[in-house]
Amino acid sequence: MAQNQRRFNVTNHQIPIPTLHQSTTNTTGTDTGTSTRASKTASSSDLSILTRFHAGYFRISLALCSQALLWKTLAEPTTDARALSSIVRTIPSFAFILLWSIALLTLLLLCLLYLVRCFLRFRSVRAELAHHVGMNYLFAPWISFLMLLQATPFLQPDNRLCRILWCAFSVPIVVLDVKIYGQWFTQGKRFLSMVANPTSQITVIGNLVGAHVAAQMGWKESAVCMFSLGITHYLVLFVTLYQRFLGSDSLPAMLRPVFFLFIAAPSTASLAWDSISSSFDTGCKMLFFLSLFLFASLVSRPALFKRSMRRFSVAWWAYSFPLTILALAATEYAQDVKGVIPNVLMLVLSVLSVVVTLALMVFTALKTNDILPHDDPFVCYNIARGTTT
Amino acid sequence: MEQTELQVEIPSVLKQTSCQNIKDFDCVDYGNGNNPNPSENAISDKESYGESIAAFKVTNLERQEVVLISLPASPSGLHIGQTKLVLHSEKCENTDQNDTKNPYPQLAKQKKFHSQPILVRENGDRKVVHSEAIRDHRFDPFKTWSGRLERQISNLRGKPTQEPDIEAGPSEREEIEEAPGVDRYFDALEGPELDALRATEVSVLPEDEKWPFLLRFPVNAFGICLGVSSQAILWKTLNTSPAMSFLHISPMPNLILWWAALALILFVSFVYLLKIVFYFEAVKREYHHPVRVNFFFAPWIACMFMALAVPPSIAVNLRPFIWYILMTPIFILELKIYGQWMSGGQRRLSKVANPSNHLSIVGNFVGALLGANMGLKEGPLFFFAVGLAHYIVLFVTLYQRLPTNAALPKELHPVFFLFVAAPSVACMAWAKIQGDFDYAARIPYFIALFLYMSLAVRVNFFTGIRFSLAWWAYTFPMTGASIATIKYTMAVTNVVTRSLSVCLSAISTFTVSTLLVYTIVHAFVLQDLFPNDISIAITRKKPKFSKMLSHFRSSSADSKDFDSSISKNSEI
Repeated sequence: MAQNQRRFNVTNHQIPIPTLHQSTTNTTGTDTGTSTRASKTASSSDLSILTRFHAGYFRISLALCSQALLWKTLAEPTTDARALSSIVRTIPSFAFILLWSIALLTLLLLCLLYLVRCFLRFRSVRAELAHHVGMNYLFAPWISFLMLLQATPFLQPDNRLCRILWCAFSVPIVVLDVKIYGQWFTQGKRFLSMVANPTSQITVIGNLVGAHVAAQMGWKESAVCMFSLGITHYLVLFVTLYQRFLGSDSLPAMLRPVFFLFIAAPSTASLAWDSISSSFDTGCKMLFFLSLFLFASLVSRPALFKRSMRRFSVAWWAYSFPLTILALAATEYAQDVKGVIPNVLMLVLSVLSVVVTLALMVFTALKTNDILPHDDPFVCYNIARGTTT
Repeated sequence: MEQTELQVEIPSVLKQTSCQNIKDFDCVDYGNGNNPNPSENAISDKESYGESIAAFKVTNLERQEVVLISLPASPSGLHIGQTKLVLHSEKCENTDQNDTKNPYPQLAKQKKFHSQPILVRENGDRKVVHSEAIRDHRFDPFKTWSGRLERQISNLRGKPTQEPDIEAGPSEREEIEEAPGVDRYFDALEGPELDALRATEVSVLPEDEKWPFLLRFPVNAFGICLGVSSQAILWKTLNTSPAMSFLHISPMPNLILWWAALALILFVSFVYLLKIVFYFEAVKREYHHPVRVNFFFAPWIACMFMALAVPPSIAVNLRPFIWYILMTPIFILELKIYGQWMSGGQRRLSKVANPSNHLSIVGNFVGALLGANMGLKEGPLFFFAVGLAHYIVLFVTLYQRLPTNAALPKELHPVFFLFVAAPSVACMAWAKIQGDFDYAARIPYFIALFLYMSLAVRVNFFTGIRFSLAWWAYTFPMTGASIATIKYTMAVTNVVTRSLSVCLSAISTFTVSTLLVYTIVHAFVLQDLFPNDISIAITRKKPKFSKMLSHFRSSSADSKDFDSSISKNSEI
């Protein structure tokens, strides 16, 4: 049983688990002890599935919410999309509302599951906060909420309710910022050169999305504030990730799809600066070009992702969000710089992101077993803490 | 014995065996004990006998003695094959000599390397020479398809091939065809340009002989093109910029330099193309070298400099398609190299970062400058953005001088001038993109100036360093800084800036002229402009101690020194 658990830990959540802890606890118990433990897990298996859930599943909500935002942007009358706009306008607005609702429902479901996990397995949540990959995904629900807020078909951007909701969603981001960024440069054990990994860019994306939505709502100062937070830490993180210190390669091979976050961060920065400065000026263009280059660089290295593509897992959802954000940035670019190439770029990237998201949805529907959590990867930390404390 | 000067290592057993010199016949000696298969040897014996007769008939008969020795494919090949087996079999202990071991299957498969008849003069004071009709097979592994291409070509030209299809043993070919990992380059080489072999390392090719010219022609040679073409840009700017009109520079220097640069680029490209055709394996090894790989950007940068420096009498407006043609190879190389920094296995930036990496960054800025000159808008901005992002990463990494960074030299070296290159070209590119020399362009300009000053005041530390062809590549940052100063003078015209422009231009011209003198002296007088390119001839695996000993032995002048050093060591 312990062997199986270990295997699932490795393949499904793909976080390196110190299996030593499990073996030490098993050897402390007798045969009867282990069998009673097995029976316990069997009986509460249904509840366990709910509680074994981890923050990485929010990739799904990120993907769907950004898709909703993309569709909304494409359908806007200001978008000079030529071929694309005619296609998009033939799709009834009903379909767009459906997508938005699906995204909202998925997000609420995931949040609910995570709340259940918080209540029932608080220790695991605490362990997740301490993990160098897991802690970044705690930004994901707030990013999804913010994007949904911007994509909402019901409210006007400068509506009072909108602003209240923005505050409600941005405050957790700032709180997490203070915790995580503060750790980077003050904490003894968890400084940046050791914990930096591509998922750390989600923290930066959180700030930038908050800035983007704030600027859309007309709150320029808060937008600039969050933008400066995001861009400064992005600079530091970019350099650190490129340097790739020894020991910072702690990302398991199955999590390689998160390399696509390299594309997402500059695109989000480009979008944010675009809404702050109300025009797609040189800075925005440079950030967009950087993310295009990184996209070309990653796409031309398929060997990097080969191992992670062998088996379907929730990590595959990490492909969708960056592509969608890149398509959004390309849309803004095409709006500003009229011409054949920007429009073609926008067309290609939008189609790519839609196709990838649809494919992921189909895969999820077909291979539900692979995507459901099989075990709580942070339970080891639980047991470790239990034995030590 | 004179044979030691030819080969890197000869097993000691061979030295003791006597060779029967029969007049007009060669002699094949198998007294070395490396005889897995007597029958096979008998057949090869006859083959070598037959072929050497034929060879002998073809060549002139001025020699007195002919000695033919059959050896395994190569000493290093045998050794490497054996080390491979040691790794794979996991049974053998660390063996050094293979004389007494039971031959492994690989050894049996290895064909004997039939050496050519060695011509020995009677006088004895001349070194051994090879006849022209017989090819030297030691450099085969570095040739394209291990020399088969050359044989094809000589077949086509009608020259008879005297030898049968001799190939180096499969293990040796693998040894050469797979370039060493990046760790090996750092372990085996030292120096700021990673071009000096460490004392404990052994070269795959003989070190005391001059290798074929193509094998000695490094990719650094494109640095000369960079240096001369950037000078052409300088003189063009001096001629055309209104702020410097008080100097009354004529367009002649620009024209002359441009034609000289064109000739140089064509020549160097042609020679390197020949090297790619004939010595592709050597080119591959250069590509895997952590410092030399950056010089693969140099041809394209030099072409762009040529486009920037084109004299007004030849062309005023260049077509944009030239820009696309020149930027495509840079884009592809960039994707490869920056991708390696981000995610490619062992070549992490914290380990391989060295000042020569600036060459890979500068290409972006030069492309942006050229594109903006041609009137393009989005393309230059694209490359400027990419270059800026990666420049920040590289700049921080180099300034940090991380302890894991093996390639940074401890002492000062002209390679540090490359620090000045990127900001000076970036400021010019930005000024051209934006239309005027605004604050965003002045910031990188002042950074470039600061870095230049920090290096200029330490100029006394640059003495005593061995001249190499790569120094030409370090002159273009100086020239770039001068050109940037002239552009700055155009924006802010006063006495200080003008005198600074004149001063910097004078320094850069003086440096280039000095370098030209040095180059001519080394090329024609000292004749060591192209020394043996040791850095591509490192072994894939660290050589065993016995090999180091034999290398020591062959490289020392006489065995007495060696014995005394050994006894000295044993005393210690």
